[in-house]
Amino acid sequence: MAARLLLRSGLRAVTTCQAVRAPALSRSMAAGGIPTDEEQATGLEKVIMKAMKEGKDPFNMMKPKSYAGSRNDPHLVPSITNKRVVGCICEEDNTSIVWFWLHEGEPQRCPSCGAHYKLVPHNLSH
Amino acid sequence: MAHQAHAYHMVDPSPWPLTGAVAALLMTSGLAIWMHFHNMTLMSLGLILLLLTMYQWWRDIIREGTFQGHHTPPVQKGLRYGMILFITSEVFFFLGFFWAFYHSSLAPTPELGGCWPPIGITTLNPFEVPLLNTAVLLASGVTVTWAHHSIMEGQRKQAIQSLTLTILLGFYFTALQAMEYYEAPFTIADGVYGSTFFVATGFHGLHVIIGSTFLAVCLLRQAQYHFTSDHHFGFEAAAWYWHFVDVVWLFLYISIYWWGS
Repeated sequence: MAARLLLRSGLRAVTTCQAVRAPALSRSMAAGGIPTDEEQATGLEKVIMKAMKEGKDPFNMMKPKSYAGSRNDPHLVPSITNKRVVGCICEEDNTSIVWFWLHEGEPQRCPSCGAHYKLVPHNLSH
Repeated sequence: MAHQAHAYHMVDPSPWPLTGAVAALLMTSGLAIWMHFHNMTLMSLGLILLLLTMYQWWRDIIREGTFQGHHTPPVQKGLRYGMILFITSEVFFFLGFFWAFYHSSLAPTPELGGCWPPIGITTLNPFEVPLLNTAVLLASGVTVTWAHHSIMEGQRKQAIQSLTLTILLGFYFTALQAMEYYEAPFTIADGVYGSTFFVATGFHGLHVIIGSTFLAVCLLRQAQYHFTSDHHFGFEAAAWYWHFVDVVWLFLYISIYWWGS
């Protein structure tokens, strides 16, 4: 179940489909007697389910989005404060990760490969 | 609402791990006391504490997951890993007993008469009750899969019926095995044949009872609308465990009942 949900949301994040899903009336309390997550999910599970439906990933469950890393297309790094640790795997299959603090404001560059990173602060919705 | 920036579940402090550990201590020391001083009090106390721990710990997990929504996709993934690792550990547990069986049966010692089954052992006919037991467990594997598909397709009545049928088949197996144990022409004390037979099939029977209990809890939860068509990992875990029990039986049947007869 979780794997299917993760795959589904990954696809959504990639395609950013805005189409509204038709309610699955064939499976619901009204139809067969077993509730759906739509009807019954609660708490954090529900928050995440709602966010995934809109293509959002507020808890960073998915792989980060792909950016070119250039000055015009920097890696956008979401953060709930004004700084976040970034780990840059400069080239694919590199075995050492370059870690550094990314601060709010001007984009910074990886000290090893020079890729551009920009912090995108936002507040938690709760 | 959660005030966390991650999707994981940081569990609230709980007394059940401690009570479980105390129960383990009381049961083990109680076992020693029972063996030496013929007093069952300490062991019984440990057993009661164990049952209370299991009931309350799993009740709390249901509260956290179903009622409070803490079982997000990453949390569920972790639970899946956990169940698979646990079942794997149980596979190794049974592997030990199969090792013991094959060690003794592949090279039977002179004390046994140099043959397997040993001289003096009348084995059970594998094509009588043991074959019925095989059919019963295989059928229960079908019904539990039926129950799973019913849940996924939102069919409440079918889910409850097929899950009930699965549990009934489990009880039928246990009843048949109990009768076989009672009527068997050999006992656990009858040399290495008796030891390997009853320890291997005995632990399997215990796992059937555990699996049936797990399924029964799922039936109660399904009746109370805990499961949704997409999120019902408790049921999946019970079904995995049940399939594992079925597979162990198949190996037992082929090795001990059939080849070993």
